[in-house]
Amino acid sequence: MSTSGYHPDLDPASAPPFPKAALPVLNNMQLRKNVAHAVDVIQAKRGRLVAEKTDWQQLRAAGAAIRDHALENLSFYLQQFEERCTAAGGVVHWAADAAEARRIILDLLRQEQADEVIKIKTMTSAEIQLNPYLESAGVKVFETDLAEIILQLGKDEPSHIVVPALHVNRGQVREIFARSMNRPDLSDDPQALTAAARSYLRQKFLTVPTAISGANFLIAETGGVAIVESEGNGRMCLTLPRALITVAGIEKVLPRFQDLEVMLQVLARSATGERMNPYTSLWTGVTPGDGPQRFHVVLLDNGRSSILKRETERQTLRCIRCAACMNSCPVYRQTGGHAYGSVYPGPIGAILTPQLTELHHAQSLPYASSLCGACYEVCPVKINIPEILIDLRAQVTDQERRQTRRWFDPMYLGMRAANFVFASAGRFHAAQRLGRIGMRLFTGKDGWIHSLPGMGAKWTQSRDLRGLPQQTFHEWWAARDKAAGKEAQ
Amino acid sequence: MNHSSNSRQRVLDRIRAAAPDSPARERDYAALERPYTRTGSLTAEARVALMTERLREYDAGVTECASGELPAAIAAALAASGRKTFVAPAGLPSAWLAPGFEWKIDRDLSADQIEGVDGVVTACFCGIADSGTIVLHHAAAEGRRLVSLLPDWHLCILRTSQIVETLPEYFARCTQPPALVTWISGPSATADIEMTRIKGVHGPRFLQVIVVRD
Repeated sequence: MSTSGYHPDLDPASAPPFPKAALPVLNNMQLRKNVAHAVDVIQAKRGRLVAEKTDWQQLRAAGAAIRDHALENLSFYLQQFEERCTAAGGVVHWAADAAEARRIILDLLRQEQADEVIKIKTMTSAEIQLNPYLESAGVKVFETDLAEIILQLGKDEPSHIVVPALHVNRGQVREIFARSMNRPDLSDDPQALTAAARSYLRQKFLTVPTAISGANFLIAETGGVAIVESEGNGRMCLTLPRALITVAGIEKVLPRFQDLEVMLQVLARSATGERMNPYTSLWTGVTPGDGPQRFHVVLLDNGRSSILKRETERQTLRCIRCAACMNSCPVYRQTGGHAYGSVYPGPIGAILTPQLTELHHAQSLPYASSLCGACYEVCPVKINIPEILIDLRAQVTDQERRQTRRWFDPMYLGMRAANFVFASAGRFHAAQRLGRIGMRLFTGKDGWIHSLPGMGAKWTQSRDLRGLPQQTFHEWWAARDKAAGKEAQ
Repeated sequence: MNHSSNSRQRVLDRIRAAAPDSPARERDYAALERPYTRTGSLTAEARVALMTERLREYDAGVTECASGELPAAIAAALAASGRKTFVAPAGLPSAWLAPGFEWKIDRDLSADQIEGVDGVVTACFCGIADSGTIVLHHAAAEGRRLVSLLPDWHLCILRTSQIVETLPEYFARCTQPPALVTWISGPSATADIEMTRIKGVHGPRFLQVIVVRD
């Protein structure tokens, strides 16, 4: 059993639909408290630091424009990255899907004769379910980000893309560490827990010769790769091992080094509410005498190129994974991340996951939103998430319309009936009269409907409904005209 | 790697089908609007003061000295740290190697050799006042990435002429894009447990900066 008290399934192919997956969390007050506390803290810090930045909107606009330009010219910039990275001593691999990426990485590890590997937190590797694959092939994986250690040792899954263990509190971390590090004396002070993680990993950093990382940015101009982090575990993994394998989504490319002047200003402020994160590293291929002497980049498509097709949806790929959208989302705040059935939760997950699966899975996610627009407002690269959610809802509906089982769907039948009624004024007025008579049966003396039968019961379970008035507006208007006409005579 | 080269073609074809290469790419890039603040507006003195303030907010220690006083200031900082052994990048000016301490010069020291050392002294490429960031390009006096990572205490020498106000001003100073960069904003930290900021996870737990007036 995981720390969460249930088994989160983050594979979109098998995860239950959002409303069902949200239930275990909604019933777990401790978990909800942990999530709400964490997002409130980050939101407040972000708000303060964004407010002091007088050119914030200009930075957002420039960020969106740079990312759009990169995506519009993606094949050019990827090939330029490949060429420059190769010239600097790196080796670039291309993976069309998750299975291929996993295979390439395992092949590389076999070449390195690696039976152990240290890892920097990478959501892309979680997306391709790399860890279980490597473990089943006999490679021991050591996560090195504090949150990832908590999840790995606690047999839990990430619920956030920046602070993946935000649903776990200090008491739970203490239990996990005390058990798996054999430290029964450990206190639940975050300082002590962090120190325990430091000493647990120190030897691994110094002895494991192979590392796996993700990438925050690929620089086409130079073939460089940038990683943004806080703890220094990233710097350890990028510096100490003999070989480094980086897995990166194809959308991560920026045209030039200078473009970081926008990205680095918006990323940390949005992600953790800091002016700048403690450490950002950039390296280019292999540097003799400094860091890993064998470097591989695996460029992963896995559904991304299909998102490029539609102009509205293309914005999705601007994402720089800051998680501001989930921190600001009223739905995420209640459900936490596991309900989204993907390693990418929150509003960005709600648009990214269905698209990555080309709408074969995760069709419930576009509905996991109130469309309040908070996510759009905070997005540092101005992804109009509500617009994409609505567009995806339309696509999901189109998909359902093509399926024969729609004739058994009461919602669909109801909509067909409504379509028939609304198509003619006569039918509409008749339906109104019928409805008024019918509803009278359920309307109380106070003029309110307190309970409805059948499907309507779901509505009245938690709210009352105003009874229909004796007269519609149209009827009142017609009667008024009639009365006025009489007076004029 | 045969399967990968097939996939290369497949992925690139899929991308081109969705987003064809534009002949106007370079013009489009040049036309990208960058209406954000590029250059700062502070006086030199205020810029240094802001850098110092921001570093202190990250719990970094900051002292200031005149150019001629630097060796003495380094000796004072080392003494105040209570540490005895220090690693120095191969290109660190010899005048900075304060006497009375044990120095290891990084001529391909192994990780284990560096791991046992108490602290490290480096120069840097630039300081960015707006975010309190120190930038290393890992030139000879800035050291290999390893030497400013493993020791628990990092003393960085920053000249006032190296301090810019905004991040874009740093990028403007890079005439050539560097191959290796480390941007350091305060000591290593995490907030993974209940969003409580804890200093010092894996990188140096202590960052000390001497700002040299020049």
